[in-house]
Amino acid sequence: MRFTRLTIAVSMTCLLAASAFGSGFLIPEQGAKASAMAGAFAATADDPSAIFYNPAGIAQQRHMAAYAGTTLINFSNEFTGDPTSPVTSGVTGEYNRHTFNVPNMYAVVPLGNNFTLGVGVFAAFGLRTDWEDPWAGRYISKDADLKTTSVNPVIAWQSSDGRFAFGGGVEYRRARVILSANRMALNPFTGRIVDVANTRLVSEYGDDIGFNAGVLVKVTPRFRIGASYRTDMDIELEGDAEINQIPTGSAQLDAIIGAQLPPDQRINTVFPFPSIATIAVAFSPNDNWDVELDVIKTGWSAFEALPVNFESTPAASFVREQNWEDSNSYRIGINHNATEHWDVRGGFVYDENPQPVEAVSPLLPDSDRLGASFGAGWHAGPFTVDGSLLVLHFKDRDTDGANEEGFNGMYETDALLWSVNLGYRF
Amino acid sequence: MNKHIRIAAAVLIAALVAVPMFAARGAADFSHLVVLGDSYGAGFESGSLNERHQPWSWGAVLARQVGYDICPATAVATDDCFAVPLVSYPGLGNELTLTSLIPGPVIAPAPGSAAPRMINFARPYNNLSIPGATVGALLTLTGAETPTAGEPTAVSMARFILRGLGTPVQQAIAQRPSFIALWIGGNDYLNVMFSGTPATITPAADFKVRYEALLDALIAGAPNAGMVVGNLPSGIPPYLTLVPPVLVDPTTRQPILIGGQPVFYMVDSGNGTQAPITATTLIPLQTRDKIAQGYGLPALLRNIPPFSLLPHVGEPLSPNDVITADEISQVFTRIAEYNTIINQAAAARNIPVADVAGLFSRVSAPGGISLGPISVSSAPVTGGFYSFDFFHLTDLGYLLFGNEFIKAINEGYDTEIPLASITQLFANNGAFFPDANAAAQLSFIGTNNGITTEGLKQIQSFWQKPTILRRSRAVGH
Repeated sequence: MRFTRLTIAVSMTCLLAASAFGSGFLIPEQGAKASAMAGAFAATADDPSAIFYNPAGIAQQRHMAAYAGTTLINFSNEFTGDPTSPVTSGVTGEYNRHTFNVPNMYAVVPLGNNFTLGVGVFAAFGLRTDWEDPWAGRYISKDADLKTTSVNPVIAWQSSDGRFAFGGGVEYRRARVILSANRMALNPFTGRIVDVANTRLVSEYGDDIGFNAGVLVKVTPRFRIGASYRTDMDIELEGDAEINQIPTGSAQLDAIIGAQLPPDQRINTVFPFPSIATIAVAFSPNDNWDVELDVIKTGWSAFEALPVNFESTPAASFVREQNWEDSNSYRIGINHNATEHWDVRGGFVYDENPQPVEAVSPLLPDSDRLGASFGAGWHAGPFTVDGSLLVLHFKDRDTDGANEEGFNGMYETDALLWSVNLGYRF
Repeated sequence: MNKHIRIAAAVLIAALVAVPMFAARGAADFSHLVVLGDSYGAGFESGSLNERHQPWSWGAVLARQVGYDICPATAVATDDCFAVPLVSYPGLGNELTLTSLIPGPVIAPAPGSAAPRMINFARPYNNLSIPGATVGALLTLTGAETPTAGEPTAVSMARFILRGLGTPVQQAIAQRPSFIALWIGGNDYLNVMFSGTPATITPAADFKVRYEALLDALIAGAPNAGMVVGNLPSGIPPYLTLVPPVLVDPTTRQPILIGGQPVFYMVDSGNGTQAPITATTLIPLQTRDKIAQGYGLPALLRNIPPFSLLPHVGEPLSPNDVITADEISQVFTRIAEYNTIINQAAAARNIPVADVAGLFSRVSAPGGISLGPISVSSAPVTGGFYSFDFFHLTDLGYLLFGNEFIKAINEGYDTEIPLASITQLFANNGAFFPDANAAAQLSFIGTNNGITTEGLKQIQSFWQKPTILRRSRAVGH
């Protein structure tokens, strides 16, 4: 009964989650201990967040436990226009400040001596690029908001000697997206470039089913190998196009524009989510130190395009070419059992961006990332508290004049990700 | 000895590498910028010179991008700003405005009268561009000429721009300019549009003498100043294409067919005869007024309503009312000669040349040029490049024009002056601040009626100041 209430609470929390951002739009920070180790956790996987990182890891957890927390993400993005561009020279812009809350909750229940059941609820993908007015790139994107929620029941088995474990589960993921941009035109009466309409595309939640699986091998008591895989998904989304005309000050121009604008109508799209493959090794030189190295390959090549189909006026349909490429993330994490009750942790991450320069735009300007993480854990009896800070610096991304929409310049991004999780072992 | 030879050789090679192949004269020092030119340099737009558009002349665009503020009408001589001979709205002459788009464009002059606002400004203007000026005029006009009936535009304009203080060249030199931007030569051939005869074009030999004399006079007076000039476009403005060579239905704008054939206008072919013009003949916009009286309509329409109501049906147009393909060809040939002269004169004096011709060519190509949310083309009314006199440019057109000069300076002087952005012409029509007056327009001068203080503040911050420092010097010069 207690477990049921807990599950409901987890679901409600994630439904209320604000969207956030991650590598591409992946959010790999799904547990404070793992985040403190820069996400290098697939070969350790010794808390319930293993459901996300490597489901085989829950097999070694032989007590019913719950683990819940959140990651708060603060990030800044500044755009500086290309001084050689007659479109963006002198233009600057930045995101509206938001603190994004990305909660996670997990529970594990051992079954017999070798099996463990678990369920996790998290938001592994999200995106928000909300540009502060007045934003010169508003004709490309004013606001893009992607939210997801996943429910991931898993089962894992380990050999009786604990040296070999594997696990897998089913992921139910739901997602919805909002895209907002303005249409602009030259007002012949004034010679000025004016906003003539705002197009807001709002999808309802769509969903899909995927799978995840993992394996964990303790080669020796001090050397572990882990691997995990999460399948890609294509979520079909339906929703509404809300097209609101913006008065220009000229009734005649408004009439001409109004006659050309498509009406509000139903729209649909397919939003691709990539696969995630992880291979990890961990080494414990003694009882108090753990070092782990993970290589994570994200199948971003699935994100070839973002088509939006207008159902009543197909001529208004459009396709945003993306042509992303698979990318690798390299993560190293360290855990030190400093005292009986305290652990200290750290890590580094280098995350390749999957986005070709042509697709770098106000919709999502991605770049390679370099990050350092710090954290600590306190545990006493059945209680665990983990906290971490990941400082993530994005390499300056210059479109080098290659943006397909001619909106060129430099994007500079930095992020702070604060994570905290509370655990209880029953 | 060998060691010394090797060192000497290394120094020589380093020196050769360090010296650019084309070292522009003077320096990219914009501490005192002077602009010389004609109506384009003055910001003449939609048949008018007025303060709503003077701050958008190509010269003013350049000035802003190198760090100047445009002087307000209340400025005094000691103010460190780019002085322009501002004229109140609706300008000299009254600005042509688009009053209606439906069912077709209606363009009419704005009512009212105007006057120069800075006639007593106690120093020469930074912008000494004079509408109507030819190359020769920059060497000779002073603004002290005795008024005469029917005097050229440049003479009357010079009266309040030059104010009898000397020629444009003299006034430019008197300012001790650190940099001179010059675009001149258009009026040496463009009068063909109004006269209809290439005979009014300045001969190439005369153009060469005057252009070189102009450059040499400026160089002699300001030997250390940086300079930039521009070549001349050979595109055909809408002014010459708006009136088709055949009679059209004013409602449908489709050719009227008689006997299944379009009706070409008739032109005097001499000795009391007349002949139909060809499909390649261009008709300047001002000829429309004569056609409206029946000139050029063939005699067979004399008794057919509604043409029978026109008093001059059957009388041919004058050869000067049209421009034949041969005449256009002569003009293009002359422009090519001018550009050769400009390029050679500039190269001989180490002056970079702005590719104005390239801009006009790109804009006139099918589809024009794509600039972010808009396309800019040479199409009349909606193209965004030509103003409502269909000959001079819009603010947007001048902005792009000014960018060609910035590109030339950056290339010639190895500077990084930022281009002017079309976002300077974004208007807040309620997209950000719902309480802003939808009709409010922004200009660098004048009121911003209806825009909230907060809105204005944010928009002004949006117009980012160029990052280049006015007194920055070119790398390596």
